[in-house]
Amino acid sequence: MKRVDSLIGQNLREMFAAATAWLEKSASDIDALNVFPVPDGDTGTNMLLTMRSTMEEAYRAPDRSVAAVAQAMAKGALMGARGNSGVILSQIWRGLAQGLAEKEALTGSDLAGALKQSSTMAYNGLSNPVEGTILTVIREAASAAQTQASSGGNDLISIMEAAVDAASEAVANTPSLLPVLKEAGVVDAGGQGLYTILEGTLHYLKGEAEQLQLRKPLMIVSSVPLPVRLPQMAMGEVPYGYCTEFMLKGHELGSDKIRRKLEKKGQSLIVVGDESTVRIHIHTLAPGDVIHQATSLGTIHQVSIRNMDEQLQDFVEMQTERMPEVDMAIIVVVSGDGLTEVFKSLGVTVIVPGGQTMNPSTKDLLQAAEAVASDKVIILPNNKNIVPAAEQVQSLTAKKIEVVPTTTIPQGVAALLAFDYEADFGTNIELMKKSKSAVATIEITRAIRSTQLGGQNIKKKQAIGFLDGDLVAVGDSTTDVLNEVLARLALTKAEVITIYYGADTEPTEAEQVGLSIREQHPHLQVEVIRGGQSHYNYIVSVE
Amino acid sequence: MTFKIIADSLGDVPPEVAKELGITIIPVHVIFGAESFRDGIDLTSEQFYDKLTREKTLPTTSVPPLGTFVDAFDKLAEETDQILAITVSSKLSATHETAAQAVELMKRKCRVEVVDSLGAGMAEGLLVITAAKAAQAGAGLDEVIKLTQRNITRTEIRMAFDTLEYLKRGGRIGRAQALLGSVLKLNPILGIKDGEVHPFARERSRAKAIDYLYNFAMSFANIEELAVEDATTPDEADMLVERLSSRFPRERIYRPKVSPVLGAHVGPHVLSVAVLGDRK
Repeated sequence: MKRVDSLIGQNLREMFAAATAWLEKSASDIDALNVFPVPDGDTGTNMLLTMRSTMEEAYRAPDRSVAAVAQAMAKGALMGARGNSGVILSQIWRGLAQGLAEKEALTGSDLAGALKQSSTMAYNGLSNPVEGTILTVIREAASAAQTQASSGGNDLISIMEAAVDAASEAVANTPSLLPVLKEAGVVDAGGQGLYTILEGTLHYLKGEAEQLQLRKPLMIVSSVPLPVRLPQMAMGEVPYGYCTEFMLKGHELGSDKIRRKLEKKGQSLIVVGDESTVRIHIHTLAPGDVIHQATSLGTIHQVSIRNMDEQLQDFVEMQTERMPEVDMAIIVVVSGDGLTEVFKSLGVTVIVPGGQTMNPSTKDLLQAAEAVASDKVIILPNNKNIVPAAEQVQSLTAKKIEVVPTTTIPQGVAALLAFDYEADFGTNIELMKKSKSAVATIEITRAIRSTQLGGQNIKKKQAIGFLDGDLVAVGDSTTDVLNEVLARLALTKAEVITIYYGADTEPTEAEQVGLSIREQHPHLQVEVIRGGQSHYNYIVSVE
Repeated sequence: MTFKIIADSLGDVPPEVAKELGITIIPVHVIFGAESFRDGIDLTSEQFYDKLTREKTLPTTSVPPLGTFVDAFDKLAEETDQILAITVSSKLSATHETAAQAVELMKRKCRVEVVDSLGAGMAEGLLVITAAKAAQAGAGLDEVIKLTQRNITRTEIRMAFDTLEYLKRGGRIGRAQALLGSVLKLNPILGIKDGEVHPFARERSRAKAIDYLYNFAMSFANIEELAVEDATTPDEADMLVERLSSRFPRERIYRPKVSPVLGAHVGPHVLSVAVLGDRK
């Protein structure tokens, strides 16, 4: 087996130059991991820039002595240190230089001793050392190197190998030490960077020039199971069966190939990893099938299958977390997939399906109110027939319930937008109630029977238009009726028009309506959105 | 002046103001691909936004090298034995930590105090300016630190965004992530609270968003310092200054441009108002 007993200054420099080149290959991957202490996505870049400055200085040092090269590295790192991890890295090289002071050549025991100094120096440099970071990684690496050195042999390769293995384990374990990592589902970026540098030095010691040139550093996968964020799901919706997660290990595992194989098996498929380890996440009705398919590709590890119905409760809690004010929840009544999406994207806590043709009961609303984590609940009924049911909820629960009596979808949207993250419950109710006056609602539908309404004769299936609930126009075409109602409004004073078209309305027709409003009123901001609501061909908001 | 003031470029203190008040500005770096630029020195705001629209790669930013702070401190220490460094919020950037580290590594002996502004843009800049003004008027270092700590609680900023894409990409969106992913086109209003980005409101049009900024400034009972900052829409900013001049002397309203480094995180079309004053 290959052995390296000692290095002179020139070798030390080449070793870290190789490690820098190795780090460069995964700098952007490391950037993507970065969530602590500041989620700014530049840890890899900062460590690389620090290493470049380190090596520039190292090349100015004389060739012979390792002490001189290590000194130069420490100086270069110090002057070029960027970001938190860069600063800690500079401390590591400073410790290394101290450990190698006055040494001409570097032996295995020198290396182990110097790494120990590096670790101490890294901790000393910080007023508040945090575990689960690059600090933990250097400490574990240094300690493994010492154990190896004292157990025999002065071989640099075996000592560095022990350090790299320990670093790898330490990186994989960072999420269990630092909650923010676990929450984000990543390992520590700075730790990963240090591991990559150490791994680069090991490749150099082993003489693996080809490895260094042709391969890419592996990103370490967390050793603790990471929580997977659920997609948004409304109350009463049918969930996608089982949330299935596992790790696949094997050879030449192409993520794309696996993705193609599994994509028809369910929803929310995520396949991440490399040729030898891949993490898979999918929502499927047949978890057995998915696992069966995967066993043909490699070995299965860390299998987790969870029933998504049971996750609904967690989901509701997570939704409340999404709102900056956790002590207030907003319940909205809406139907139509597009409109549901609109409300969800504005950050409501719970959606209760319902509307003109399906009025939810007081019990439905009460259940939603009881399910949320908050004690203060705001209900937006969005329909005048639902307001009375909503107003009953307060008498049935100990929670504080306020109904903002919105009677149309646009009023509901306006109320939600008026919500002030900084204001208290009472102020928010005021703001939301007040917002009603700033928006006008047009609803276009077809008469379900011949009748007389608002002094007008209406034939069955004729298009009828309502302005804020009052019937104001009748005609044969829905677009003509819409234009007629729009003509009643002072559009010169309006700023934004939003057209939500229904399930039975052609998108091209809706786009055409939007276009003609834009042409007639160029100052207006016009948005055409698929509401997917039944009954109403168009619901239009004028602000 | 008995002591020197140093700040990072994220405070967007206009160069002429910095010069007049003797403030040293340490540039944060903005990186396009392989090129690194020093904020405001190698790249102006206009050049940056021009590049932002032309370049294929989107920019990233990088904290000033530790050595830059060490050198700057040592250089100032030739003239004084007391330095006050005011930095961008430590919850938004590692610049604060870097400055604090640099103090340990100085060659010269000098008292250096590093204060976390808990702000960015003119929320930081107004603190730097008022500190420098107080120093010029003869206040001592301890007095100015106390003043700055008090002013941190009196300074607020609101920013009108067209898109939160840049903020999200840079990882600094904080609690404003609740505003992401809206199906409707929104004009979010964000601010900085306790050092982090916070959502304040969602408006449905740019005009309403600008009204929000106006009402925000007008809601103060007493305004001591006021700044209106734009990224790429100077006309909007000028019009807002015009409206606000009914309340606060126009010539005292600071009108900087969003710096390249801040711009890399907020993107184009950002318009902001910062107020140092009292609510009631």
